[in-house]
Amino acid sequence: MNPYGPVAIYLAVALAAALLFTVLPGLLGRAKPNAQKLEAYECGVEPTSAVAGRFPVRFYLVAMLFVIFDVEAASFFPWAVEMHALRFFGLAEMVAFVIVLAIGYAYVWKRGGLEWK
Amino acid sequence: MIDSLYGAADWSAITPLVIVAVTALVVLLMDLLLGKRVGRYGAIILGSLGLILAGVVAAGGYGLHQTLFGGAFVLDGFTVLFEEVVIIGALGSLVLFGAIGREDRVAGATALLLWSATGAMLLAGAGTLLTIFLGIELLSLALYCLCGLAPRATAREAALKYLLLSSTASGFLLYGMALLFGATGSVTLSAFAAPMLAASPLFWAGIAFFFVGIAFKLSLVPFHTWAPDVFQGAPLPVTAFMSVVTKAGVLAVLARVAYSALPPQAASALLLPLWVVAGISMVVGNVGMLAQTDLKRLIGYSGVAQVGYILVALAGTTAFGLRAAIYYLFAYTLMNLGAFAVAAVLSGDGEEGTQLAGYRGLGHRRPLLAAAMTFFLLALAGLPPTAGFLGKILILSAGVASGYLWLDALLIIGTAISLYGYAKVIGAMYARDEHRSPTTPRPVVPLAWASIALCALALLLLTFHPFASSVLP
Repeated sequence: MNPYGPVAIYLAVALAAALLFTVLPGLLGRAKPNAQKLEAYECGVEPTSAVAGRFPVRFYLVAMLFVIFDVEAASFFPWAVEMHALRFFGLAEMVAFVIVLAIGYAYVWKRGGLEWK
Repeated sequence: MIDSLYGAADWSAITPLVIVAVTALVVLLMDLLLGKRVGRYGAIILGSLGLILAGVVAAGGYGLHQTLFGGAFVLDGFTVLFEEVVIIGALGSLVLFGAIGREDRVAGATALLLWSATGAMLLAGAGTLLTIFLGIELLSLALYCLCGLAPRATAREAALKYLLLSSTASGFLLYGMALLFGATGSVTLSAFAAPMLAASPLFWAGIAFFFVGIAFKLSLVPFHTWAPDVFQGAPLPVTAFMSVVTKAGVLAVLARVAYSALPPQAASALLLPLWVVAGISMVVGNVGMLAQTDLKRLIGYSGVAQVGYILVALAGTTAFGLRAAIYYLFAYTLMNLGAFAVAAVLSGDGEEGTQLAGYRGLGHRRPLLAAAMTFFLLALAGLPPTAGFLGKILILSAGVASGYLWLDALLIIGTAISLYGYAKVIGAMYARDEHRSPTTPRPVVPLAWASIALCALALLLLTFHPFASSVLP
């Protein structure tokens, strides 16, 4: 079989399933709306305010810093697993990486990126 | 085993890149530890020294021909020349921070600029799809931040616009790369020259998507609409950097692919859309330039056309064409940097001197500055006695030699249109006008003046000394 055959099958199955799930309920189901059914679902609690509220831009900064350091920490794992095979080369690479990471961390800290004012 | 995978040759090939990247780290650390005592000039001087050192080290690689890191990086005359263009471009834009921008932000901006330049230098020698993508992302990520550095709404708009559109283009590029990998089973550019690929539809589709991404990054028509807006919004030094370094880095990739990574019998057909796009760019870019009232927008549109000129030289994929292209790229770099340096001298504390209305009567108020600006604009228009003239002659003859006469014709038409745009600015500078000079004379801006002088001198010297040999990728 063509090496792309499985991809094509996967695409076809995904498309068929999606079509099935969206088209069938409309054809077979009966629509009997009432006030409760049409309400926005929010953990069983009445929605109290508009969803798109305002919140401090600081959340973005913290979230962004978290993601950056999180992803960088995640790249330790492959190295740790293959540490012995990579030997000195791997260690040197990781030390360089950690130094760059530490400078970035120090910069964020010193510039007040971690403070909640 | 892995210890000995990469040897001394590998590491010495990327030494210039390492120098630039480490300099950026040092600038950042210095800013962190010494704080205000470093100041504006501390960061700029340190950054410039790092760039100059990298330039000297990189020049040592000229004449070598090595494939390093398992094909990921190629070191040859081509790589070295593009690295030097990037270094000159970064240097020329870095010094403009001496006149513009908040003092406490200069160190951070310097670091970002240097990292961006590292990405462009990586592109100069990129030999695999992975290195190309790494270089483009390193180049762009730093630029997104740099674009938004100025405290005004247009800067934020520029940063967001550039982020969104450039990411889309990166998506196209990546998709193209995935298809290319699917078609060839390899990420190495040299594997793409295999003749049997000419019959693979996957390969054709991959190259198409790849070129769309590249054309966007080069701001070729019809992927150019972001350029004037982003150029206008970004801080002046960043605009100078983008107009030169981004284009040089991506042109290096394009030239390497066009010259050495396409199956020979299909190459001219695969590349034809690119030349058509270049032809349209030369006309549209120059027409768009005519109505501009801001120097940065004007350079944005003129840059669209100038890249088109460079592509004309590459069109035949001849050795002579590549020499002409690199020569013109050097000249283009110097004229742009010179024009931006003049604007930097004219900038006030809060605002940048890029409004063309402010240039009215400049010839009477600041004759030397106006003369320099006239020189750079004449070079951009391609008139003697500047290197722009010789560069265009070289490009035209490369076009004739490779048989792309229609591209030559479009180049001449585009140049004719552009003459009006540049002459309008020059005319305004020497107009005998009522003296309603809004600009107050600024204190001396030594770095920008030095940049103007060096650019003008280099442009004159280039005219009498066309260089570049043995540059095939």
